[in-house]
Order: sequence, then C-alpha cells, then structure tokens
Amino acid sequence: MIREVWTILQKDLRLELRRSENFIAMFFFAFIILLIFSFALPSEGENHQLIAPGVYWVTFLLSGILGLSKNFALEKEMGCMEALLISPVSRGSIFLGKMLGTLIFMVLMQGILIPVFALIFYTPAIEFFWDLLMLSCATALGFSALGTLLSGLTTDVRFKEILLPILLFPLLIPLLLASVEVMASILAGQGIQGELDWLKLLIGFDFIFLIAAYLTFDFVMEL
Amino acid sequence: MNLTRSLGLVSALSLAITAWLVFYWAPLEQAMGFVQKIMYIHVPSVLVCYLAFFLSFMASIGYLWKRKESYDIFAYASAEIGVVFCAITLITGSIWGRPTWNTYWTWDARLTTTLILFLVFVGYLLLRRFVVYSEQQARFAAVIAIIGFMDIPLIHQAVTWWRTLHQSSTMFSMKKGVIDDPLKWMLYVSMVAFYIFFAYLLAKRVELEKKERAFKRQLANLE
Repeated sequence: MIREVWTILQKDLRLELRRSENFIAMFFFAFIILLIFSFALPSEGENHQLIAPGVYWVTFLLSGILGLSKNFALEKEMGCMEALLISPVSRGSIFLGKMLGTLIFMVLMQGILIPVFALIFYTPAIEFFWDLLMLSCATALGFSALGTLLSGLTTDVRFKEILLPILLFPLLIPLLLASVEVMASILAGQGIQGELDWLKLLIGFDFIFLIAAYLTFDFVMEL
Repeated sequence: MNLTRSLGLVSALSLAITAWLVFYWAPLEQAMGFVQKIMYIHVPSVLVCYLAFFLSFMASIGYLWKRKESYDIFAYASAEIGVVFCAITLITGSIWGRPTWNTYWTWDARLTTTLILFLVFVGYLLLRRFVVYSEQQARFAAVIAIIGFMDIPLIHQAVTWWRTLHQSSTMFSMKKGVIDDPLKWMLYVSMVAFYIFFAYLLAKRVELEKKERAFKRQLANLE
C-alpha cells in the first residue's frame, strides 16, 4: 500500500513541478490577499499582534482553496480519472497519495508565506518561524484531509468553485479557531504549547478527519 | 384514512391545543414576563432540528451500507426539515435574545454551533441541488451528512472554549427549582406537539420525494 501511495504522490508532485504555474499562482494570490489586508486594516500599532493570526489563517484558507480545486482538475483531462480508478490501486491509496501531495504543497507554500507575512504585515512573526511552520503542518494536515475528500466530491459538480468553499469552510471552523488561538499564543511568546488544549483539539481534528475521509473516499470515487 | 393524513390531523390538533395552553394556561415567568413564551417554540424547534439531523446522519450511513433508495429519500427529507427548524430556532432565538440579553446576536457557544450546523446542512441541500439526480447524488450527499454530523462535537468544543454565555440547558437539569413545574410541563407538551408535527412533515416529504422521483423516471423513459 505504501508503494501505491508513493507512486501516486510521485506522479502528482512530478506533474506539479513540471507545470509550476499552479504553485506560483497560488503564492501570488496569497501575496495579494496579504496586501489587501494591509491596505484594508489600520496600519501598524499594537493591534497588529491581535489581528495577525486571523489575517494569516484567512490568507491560508483562501489561497488553499485555490490549490484544492486544482487537485482533481488534472485528472479530468483525457480520462485520467477513469484510468486511475480502474488501475489495481485501492481508493484509500489514491486518497492518501492525493492528500499527501496537497499537504506537501501547502507546507511548502507556508514556508514561503511566513517570511512574506512577516515582511509586509507583522514583522516579529519571523522570530517564530519554526513554531509557525510546525503549526502550519498540523493545520495543513486537517485542511488537506477534508479538502481532498470534498474536492474529489465536487469535481464533476456544476458550480464547483462556489460549492467547495460553501461545504468546506463551515466544517473547517474548529480547525481555524484552534489554529488562530495557537498562533496567538506563539506570537505572544508562549511557544506552540502555550495553548495546549487548542493544540490537542487541532490534532484531534486532524486524525478524526483523516480517518473519516480515508474511509468515505471509497464512496465518493465510484465509477 | 392513511397514516400521513391522520398524522397531519393529530399534529394540527396538538399544535392548536399547545398554542391555547401556552397563552391561557401556562403562568407568566417572573423574571422575563410575556417574552418567555417564545421558549415553547424555540426549545422544541431546536430539539426537532437535532433529531432531524441525527436521523439524516443515520439514514446516510444506512444508504452507504445497504444502497436502498428509500434511505436516501429519508435522509434528504429529514435534512430539509432539519434546516427549516434550525432557521426557526435561530430566528426565535434572536427575538428572545433582544429583550433578555439585550442583543439579537451574540457569539455564544451554543448559538454559534447551531449557526454552523445550519450552514453545513444548507451546503448539503445545495449539493443536492447542484448534482443532477442520480445514484451519485445520493452517495455524495450521504458523505457530507456523515462528515458534517461528525464535525458537530468538535465545533461545539471549539466554540465553547471560544466563548460562552447561553444559559445552560434547563430542561434536562435534575436540580429542582431551576424551572417551575407548570412551565416544565408546558414545555414537554409543546415538545410532543412539535415532534408529532415533525413526523407528519417527514412522512409527507418522503411521500412527495418518492412521487417526484417516480415521475422523473417516467419522463426519462419517455424520452
């Protein structure tokens, strides 16, 4: 099974690397959202530490959804989806491969986004780079688990661009709340364990939906 | 006389009796006064809404397991009625909140959970609309209902930590004196009336959906 997951992951990553415009587009989209936030919110001052977590995670959600909707779009060309489904690979492996692809993609993206965020929005954030990146891994895991399931589900649906966020965002609210709280504690200098209960909730969310999405993916991907 | 029609008559009768009792029999609550009577709509509605979503969740699992269309119809009908009662709960809650809490809306844990629940199931109904009717629609909707329902405890936990103001549930509290006896009995009566009404709506909606699908099949056969 690990080999199957690896094959799918490799295929996705290779495709992404070859056509890097997706990554670049996502990054610039995130950059523009940060820019808009900087213009729309009052500049500098004490307030920025309070609103920084919110701004960061909203940017994450909005740019992440862009990456998700691309997730299965690649497979639609030339009947790739059918080929993938009739290949002797379990649905669970397809899910894990796709999910890991999104996860790696999101974490890389965060690795670039955190310095940019520090540069144009909240300078002290760069001091906590590793803590924030670790938190991002945890958030991106839950996000990509549910996101992969739902983007698989909405691939063939009309108005999928609007339906995906409508379905996904309400479900992600616990994840978002937990990430905001943990990030606030990191920025306050208490480290990633400053809000231990929230961190537990975040990790619990990751595991519950990783398992739930893994199990229900079978039903989404029937031929 | 068939079951649905007799259910309809019973529910009309019990709702009428409840309305009469609420205004002529139930005593005025001392602290809140006349406004408190909205409780007899608010609390039963939210209970009906929880039951409806729970039934939808169970029927969705049943559908994915047994693949019987009747389960799918049941899940759909139940979710739809649940959304209506959820909206009633939110609206009556705001009307009640204005005189007692001095605000229409507040970010209290239970209010927020109910609102998110509402959004999740509105997403569910939208998905039903956007996917052309088929066995695929049934599968997708079932997955959303299951994932959405599983999210409720997490959402609730998250928003509880986030903030809390709502009075704790009075009805099931074992302590004496939290709620007066006549008020409690009145609440039970209106609950029963609402559940009967719910059963009627559900039976009617299931009947309607079955007819609609049979009709659509006939149309498809003609073409």
